[in-house]
Order: sequence, then C-alpha cells, then structure tokens
Amino acid sequence: MPKQTDILRLPAEKLYQAEIEALIAEDKDEKPTGWQMSPRSVLKFIIGGKAGKKDIVPKYVGHDRLVEVAIATLLTDRCLLLIGEPGTAKSWLSENLSAAVCNDSNMVIQGTAGTSEEHIRYSWNYALLLADGPSEKALVKSPIYRGMEDGKVARFEEITRCPSEVQDALISIISEKNIAIPELGGELSAKRGFSIIATANTRDRGVNDMSAALKRRFNIVILPAPADLKTEAGIVMKRVSEISQSYKLKAQLPTEEAVIKIVTIFRELRGGATLDGKQKLKPPSGVISTAEAISLLTNSMALAASFGIGEITDEDIAAGLQGAVVKDESKDQAAWKEYLENVVKKRGSEWRGLYNACRELNG
Amino acid sequence: MAGAIQRMQGIERVNFFGVRHLSPAASWHLLKLLNKLKPKCVLIEGPSDSDYLISGISREEVVPPIAILAYTADKPVSTVFYPFAEYSPEYQAMKWAASSKAEAHFIDLPSGVMISLNPFKGDEKENSGYYSFVEGLYSDLIKQGGENSYDSYWERNFEHNLNEGAYNETVTLHSAEIRGLLEPEEFKCMPSSNAVDLVRESYMVGQIQKYLLKYKPEEIAVVTGAYHTARMKYETMPMSVGELGELPRRSSKLTLMPYSFYRLSSRSGYGAGNSAPEYYQLMWSSMQGNDLGALPIKYISKLGRLVRGNGGYCSTANIIEAVRLSYALTYLKGGAMPTLSDLHDACVACIGHGEFSELATAFALSDIGVAFGYLPEGISQTPVQDDMNRELKRLKLEKYKSTISQKLDLDLRGNLKVKSEEAAFLDLNRSVFLHRLQFLGIGFAQKAVVNQEGATWRESWVLGWSPEVEAKVVESVLKGDTIELAAAFHLRDKLEGCKNIQEAAKLISISYICKLSGGTDNAASVLQALAVDSGDFSGTVEAARELSMVIQYGDIRRFNTSALEPLLQQLFLHACLMLLSVSSCDNKAAVSIADAINTMHIISQENSEIVDGMEWDKALWGLAGRDDKNAKLSGAAFAVLLERGLITDEFCSTEISRRLSPGVPADLGAGWFEGMSMRNHYALLSRINLWRELDNYISSLEDEEFRKALVYMRRAFGGFEAYEKNSIAELLSDFWGEGDTDMAVFIQGGLEGAEASEIDGLNDFDFDM
Repeated sequence: MPKQTDILRLPAEKLYQAEIEALIAEDKDEKPTGWQMSPRSVLKFIIGGKAGKKDIVPKYVGHDRLVEVAIATLLTDRCLLLIGEPGTAKSWLSENLSAAVCNDSNMVIQGTAGTSEEHIRYSWNYALLLADGPSEKALVKSPIYRGMEDGKVARFEEITRCPSEVQDALISIISEKNIAIPELGGELSAKRGFSIIATANTRDRGVNDMSAALKRRFNIVILPAPADLKTEAGIVMKRVSEISQSYKLKAQLPTEEAVIKIVTIFRELRGGATLDGKQKLKPPSGVISTAEAISLLTNSMALAASFGIGEITDEDIAAGLQGAVVKDESKDQAAWKEYLENVVKKRGSEWRGLYNACRELNG
Repeated sequence: MAGAIQRMQGIERVNFFGVRHLSPAASWHLLKLLNKLKPKCVLIEGPSDSDYLISGISREEVVPPIAILAYTADKPVSTVFYPFAEYSPEYQAMKWAASSKAEAHFIDLPSGVMISLNPFKGDEKENSGYYSFVEGLYSDLIKQGGENSYDSYWERNFEHNLNEGAYNETVTLHSAEIRGLLEPEEFKCMPSSNAVDLVRESYMVGQIQKYLLKYKPEEIAVVTGAYHTARMKYETMPMSVGELGELPRRSSKLTLMPYSFYRLSSRSGYGAGNSAPEYYQLMWSSMQGNDLGALPIKYISKLGRLVRGNGGYCSTANIIEAVRLSYALTYLKGGAMPTLSDLHDACVACIGHGEFSELATAFALSDIGVAFGYLPEGISQTPVQDDMNRELKRLKLEKYKSTISQKLDLDLRGNLKVKSEEAAFLDLNRSVFLHRLQFLGIGFAQKAVVNQEGATWRESWVLGWSPEVEAKVVESVLKGDTIELAAAFHLRDKLEGCKNIQEAAKLISISYICKLSGGTDNAASVLQALAVDSGDFSGTVEAARELSMVIQYGDIRRFNTSALEPLLQQLFLHACLMLLSVSSCDNKAAVSIADAINTMHIISQENSEIVDGMEWDKALWGLAGRDDKNAKLSGAAFAVLLERGLITDEFCSTEISRRLSPGVPADLGAGWFEGMSMRNHYALLSRINLWRELDNYISSLEDEEFRKALVYMRRAFGGFEAYEKNSIAELLSDFWGEGDTDMAVFIQGGLEGAEASEIDGLNDFDFDM
C-alpha cells in the first residue's frame, strides 16, 4: 500500500511517538518479555509525568489505581476486560495501553453482530486456497492471530456485541494460548507478551451477555465516569485541544467557562440531580458521556470556524447540546425543556445567553 | 515552678523502642529486641495507675482483644479505653515480661488525669485548619511513596520488613521527621492538643527516671508510640510531683473488659492504622509461624471461602489469579509483598468482576472480623462484671456473648417435667435478668415484638454482645455491685425523680418484672402519694391499667401481687369519683377521656373481684343521665351501660327519644350519638328503635341545625365498617317505605358533584354561628 500522508487520525503510538521514545530512553527498570518499556513507564505514559525533560501528557485522568490494576493484569499474562458506560474512555485506554506496551495499537477486532469465528482466528484467501490448497500463504490472519505470533497485545472492542458462540472462540485462545490450524496440520502457540484487552459496554449488557466461562478468564476493571466536575472539565479541555490540533480546526478553543457549563449540564443530566444535590432532574434516555461533551465541543468549533465568527458562541453550543441531549424526540424534548426552565434559566446572567440560544432551538 | 527536677544522666542510654500501636511488625521486632537485650524492667505507654492490671492481662487464658477501661467514679460518667490486640506491641511486651520474670509497668499519665485532659484534645473550634494541613502533608508523603493511602504506605514500608533492626530506628526517625513538620502547625492551630502530648511525655520521662533509680539504663526498655520516642530520649524534661498535682484530675477507677475487632476498627483509643484488625491478626499469626510470605495466599483463600460461604462464586483458579495479580501490583510499586490495598484490588478484578460491592460482605469479614476477647473468671474486673458473668452462666446464656446477634424465645410457664425449681423456671429467671439489663440500659438484649396476641407467657429477645455493652455493665458499678443491686438502685433513683402517676405505675410494673421486691413497696407508696393529689383522670386510669396488668401477669410470673390490690382499688375509686367532674370539657379533651372510660371498663371487667364495680356503674349512670356534661362523653357512658345490658329496652328508647327529640341543638343531640357510636356497633345496629328515633330527629332539624348535625354524623359514621353502613342503609330504607334494596343502593351510592362540594363546604363549619 502506498505510504499515506495527511492521515485523519493517527494511532496512539504515532500521535505520542516522541513521548514513547523519551520514556524508552529513560527507562531503567526491567522490561517484561515482549514489552518495549517497563510497566512503570507504561503507567507514567498513561497517567502522565516527566521523562527526562519531556512532559508526558496524562492520557487517562482521575483513577490511577485502575490503570495500575490494568497494567498489572497484562503483566500476569491474564487478559484484561474494561467495562464501563459509553464514553468512559475504555477504547482510549485500551489503545494507549497497547501503544505503550508493544507500540502497536492497530490489532483490533471490532465486535459486531456480524463478527464470526474467522474474525477471531483466521480465514482464507479463497483465490489462493483454490489455486494451491491450504498453505501458510493462503491464510488470512486475524488481529489476535498476529498478536499471538508477534507476542503483542491484541484488542477486542465491544466484545458483548458479538454473539456468544463467537465469544466462546476466545476461551481456548485465552486459556491454552494457542490456535489449532487443522487445515495445515499444526497449531500456533502464542509468543510471550501476547495478551488481549477487551472492552464491553454496560449499556449493551442486554444485547449479548458475556458468557460466564469467558468472564472468568478475564481480569475485570470497571471504568467509572469521571469523579468530579473539575476532572471531567479538565479531560474535556485537554482532548478538545488535541483533537482540534489534529483536525486543524481554525476556530479558537472554547473558553474554560463554556467547557464548565457543558460539563455541568452533562453531569447533572447524567446524575439525575443538580450538582448541589438540591434538585432532582429527569434524565434523558440516551447516554450523555464525557466523550459526547468532547465531540460536542469539537463540532461547535468546526461550526464556528466554517460558518461562524471563528469563536464558539452560545448558539453553536446550543445546537450541539440539542443534538446530544435530545435523542428520542418525544421523551427527551420534554426533559431537556424542563431542565432549561427549571435549572438553567435560574442560574443568573452568565447562563442567560446559553439559555436563550437553547430555548430558541427548542421552541 | 515548684520543684522542677533535672533530666538524669544516662536516660538516653535507656532502650527506647518506638512503635505504632497495633502493629504486628512492631510486636515482632520488639520481641526480637527484648529477647536480645533481656531487660529487667519493661516500661509501657499506658495509665500508670493500672499497673496492677498487668499481671491479669498477661495471664495465659486471656484472649485479646481486650481493653483497659477507665471510668470516673462519679457522675457524669466519662470513660477512656486502652485497647490491646494480640499483635499490640504493648500486649506482647507485657507477655514477654511475665514469661521472662522481668518487671512491667505502665508509665503514662494516670487515667484520672487523662480523662480530665481528653476534652482539651478535641476542641472543635481549633481543629479545622490543622486537619487539612495534616491531610496535605500525608498526601504528599503518600504521593512520594507512590502509594494510594497512608495505610498502604505504612504497611509496605514498615510492616513487611522483618529484617533485624529494620523497625525501631526507621520508625523512630520517620515519626520524628513527621512530628517536626506537624508540630509548629499543631502548636498554632491546636495548642491544647499539643500541650497534652508534651505533658504526657514529661510525665513519662519522670516515671522512667523513677525506675532509673533502681535499674541501670541498659536494663530498662521503654515501649511507647514512636511519635514520642525521640523527644523523650533526648529532650523532654521530667515532671515533678508538684507539677503533677497541678493537673486537673477526676477520681477514676479501672477495669479490664473484652474488646471486639469491630470496635477496634471503627474507633481506637490509640490512633489510626487499624482499619483491618482481622487482616493484621492473620499477619501476626503468619509472622509467628515464620511464614509472612504466605500472607497474601492465606488472605485471598480466606476471602474466597467467605465469598462461597455467602453464596457467591469463587474458584481456586480465581484465587490463584488474584494472588498473581496482587504480586504484579506489588511489582509496579517496587515492593516485596502485596499490601492490603493490592490484595483488595486484585480480588475485585479477579473475583469480584470488577465490582467492590460484590465482595463488600466478604471484605468486612476478612478485614474486620467478628473476634471478641475473653477474660477468665477472677481476673481483675468490677464486681458487677463478675456478677454479670455469673448470671450469664447460671442462666445458660453464655453462648449469646457473641458479637453476632441471636434470637432467644422464652416460655415463662414453668416446665413441670424437670426436677429442680431452678431448671423449671429457667426461662422466667432469664426474663427477669434480661429485663433488669434493659432497665439499666445495657444493650445486651433487645425485646422483640411477639405477634401472638395476648400471649403473656411468651417473650422473644434478640441478644448480642459488644464492647459498648461491657462498658455499660461497668458503668453500672456506680449503682451497685451486682446487676440486681444496680437495678434496684436505678429504680430508687427513678422513683425519686418521678413526678407523675403513670411513670410511677410503670416503675411498679418494672419492679415486678425485674423482681426488685425491695423497690415495689417504695414504688407503691410513691404512686399512692401521687394518686391522692392527682386530678388527672386519664393518667390515673392509665396507672390503674398498668397495675391491673401486673396483677394479671402475676400468676405467670409468680409475683405476689396482693400488695398491689389495695392500690388498684384506690386508684379505681379515685377515677370513678373524678369521672363526673372531668366530663365538663370541650370535645378535644373528651377524646382522651373517652379512651380512659374504655380502659376503666376493661379494668372493671378483668379485675372485677378486686375493684368496686358498683361505684363505676354509678359513675357511668351519673354521666349518662346528665345533660350538662360533654354530650359525647354522656353518649359514651350510655353506650357502655347499654353494652353491659344494664339498660332495659324501654329505658333505652325513652332516653334515645329524649336525647334526640326535636329542638335539641345539633351539637348536643348528634354529639351524644357520636359518643354512643364509639363503642359496640352491634349493640346499636340491633336496636331498630334507635334508628327510627334518629331518623325522626334528623328530619325535624332546621336547615342550619341540620348542617351542624351533619358534621357530627359524618364523624360518628366514619368509624363504621362498610358492611355496618350497609346494614344501616337497609334499616333506613325499611323506614322510608321503599322496602327493597334499591333504596339501600341509592343510599350507598357515591356523592354527586354538587352534593360533594356542599359537604366539603362543611369542613370549615363555624360552630359559633
């Protein structure tokens, strides 16, 4: 394939290449087999710090201990399962962990209803298969296959979206750490360093439950929503500025005030109560995650840059909020309107502009 | 300053050993050191006036956790605890001294001074700023150590290291450094708290010097909190006798008591570091077996068993993975062994499916546990504790001395199948004992509600022990040397302060149930005195009812209630005579009097051979016949007489037509009917005549009067059941000639809009119109 430039979204190991190199250069601790840096450096890569003179940006904020448990899990050759509400940075953490551990976050299986056992093990290049019969060359390797071959970390996103019989294909891989290839009369045994980071969504539990047999084979870490307003606003601010850089958005970054307003609204609607706990609220049907707050703000920036005055206005935010909150027209509209009238309206002059803009949109 | 004394030469050569209270590693290293140095005198941080308890504490049969309890000898009672677990260095030091024939002494301020100084430590106004400062300092420390909590930091750095000499110097240095950082701020924010520490140290140094007169410095070992060690070793000036005399002091007494791990984890007299006593106990026993390395495996396996015991799922494979993960977490921290927090997080990820809540119960048992200490008989205790234990043994209640609550059902009837009287009435004696405890406020037993109605021979109790119970028992020593004496004293105390007649009757009842026969006469005379002056009809009736119940239960509880009978007669008569005069009252007051009339009726029926029923009938007739008393009460009295069958049908209809004759104002007529309908509805329903009179009466009323009457009638019929209302409707339809059920159905039908709103309009009906 031709070498691409101008890539829309760089994988973590490319995006933070300089940081990874600095960490490796500085690393004095022992590296586990197959890892490019020591576990402590991986930890530093995720939670931030300093490597020599290089600042390491924190990638996951607020729950350092969970990151420690995740890294320790990978150390014990157990597989890691990250569970959480949508938008709690499960995939983000899994991507950055694999980038730090083996410099390759691209071995991903995206779980869907259509995922089959072949996606997990291997499939065939049928042209070659028909021409030459089964051979190593005709084998199309799955990301997990490649991970086992190279001793790297493979990722399995949204594992609960796969049918359970497909999930069960993982059992032998995780326990025995090998894949039998009867067509070639052999088997592939995983190289040291191989592991799987899977993610699952708590909201999807009803779609396909994870089999108990599989669950037992994972160490499970539950990622919570950010603990407080300050942390969440910090996360949003940081990611928005990173994304706008990579997308080359020409608008100015949102003010801290705007971010805090949005995060406040999101936290209140998510929690079903105002932040001071004095007023109960009707939460909307959809998920209102940190990730949505980030995409809302980048959207607003794009709007402002392309059609606006280059600066995020209350109208831009209002448009975004409307889309993020009102997902089920009939129910959420009422909840949103109630929230605007009962809470936002009464918050005083700083919120006035936003309130007016939202009201206009909401009729 | 009077008689200031100098620091003695050589005090810095004394073997100071700084510990963290309740630290297994401290105990381990301390024992090593003691075995090496073989001191002849071991001095321990603890109230110096409790020295005499040491021999008891170090006895073989004692099972920690136990505590020294100091309590003031007079009211208000203040207490202070000095708890010891098996892994407490102080406890191990005492044990060592006992087995090595060395002297052991406590050297801290006497308990009476400590109790008086304690309030100075927790002055809330001073605290706020200081605590956030301390928190900030510790969080810096935790961060530097790369840990998540101070407990983890401490455990990793000090509890796991069993290398020789790894503890004393490092902990002492560590504590001195921390003190150096904290003290200036403490001095600024909480000067009195800071001062208490300095006073204690000065006293302790004085005590050490006392023993220096007898022993060489090298022959003395001093075990105190590491916080104090460096200061005492090099700087603190000893306190003189004169200075000690200037300190505030309350007279105090001491005793030993069993303690619980639960209490140890929730609050400790010795500061932090014991959120998980059961875990530390496991750590200590692992150290004893020279097997500290197996602690993580033991802990997680134990947790696994607890999870299974709670109906959860946990395979051996899960346990293995959790152990591995805990070591991986340790590796990240650069430690040698997992801390409790590593073990927790590993268990949550590998056994609890990522959720702490799934394991919360198991963690509570594996960390805190339900251990409860034991003190053998004869060990220095207060007499009342001894008595308590004797009673528990006599009544076969010992197995309930556990921190887990258990249910106990009692059958108060004598068991005729057994030989001895003691055995036959075991349950009755238990009941007496438990009631005494309850009366004293000792929370060992809570009476549960028995559903079986009127079962006077059955009682259900929930029993459970806790250090609070023990403390309460000890506090009772101020009242008497045995539970019985304490209860009797308490009763006397209560009687003296008793101001009203119901309370006095209640106390009489307690004196019987608790078998405090000495108190009964006293209580009876107090009640009698109060009754004579009492103008409170309801109160008198309530008191009479209390007595009548006691008399009724007398048989089953084997009371001799003959002394109460004259008292009941007197109260009953008093109430009878009062009835007429108290019945001139408004409708509000009438409610409680009507209740009392019912109660009196019950007493007159149940205790008919004791009380003067004739007098009561007379009172009722008097009230029923009067027109100038509260009409409702007259009605109620009439209803009682009617129910008793004392009223002939003829008189009944005469009276009804008189009460409900046209022209009688609605509040009198309808009010009377309301009073009458409060009792037996059947007696009313069976008298057709009554309803005819009522019907005529209502039809005769003018509009305005009718509206008034309606208010009373609605209230009166509010108490009727649906089927009773149905019968009334049928009765009325008979009168009105429709003769069939159509009328009844019509009457039963709901109100239409206009009618309903008109009725609602009556809600704020003004009777003064």
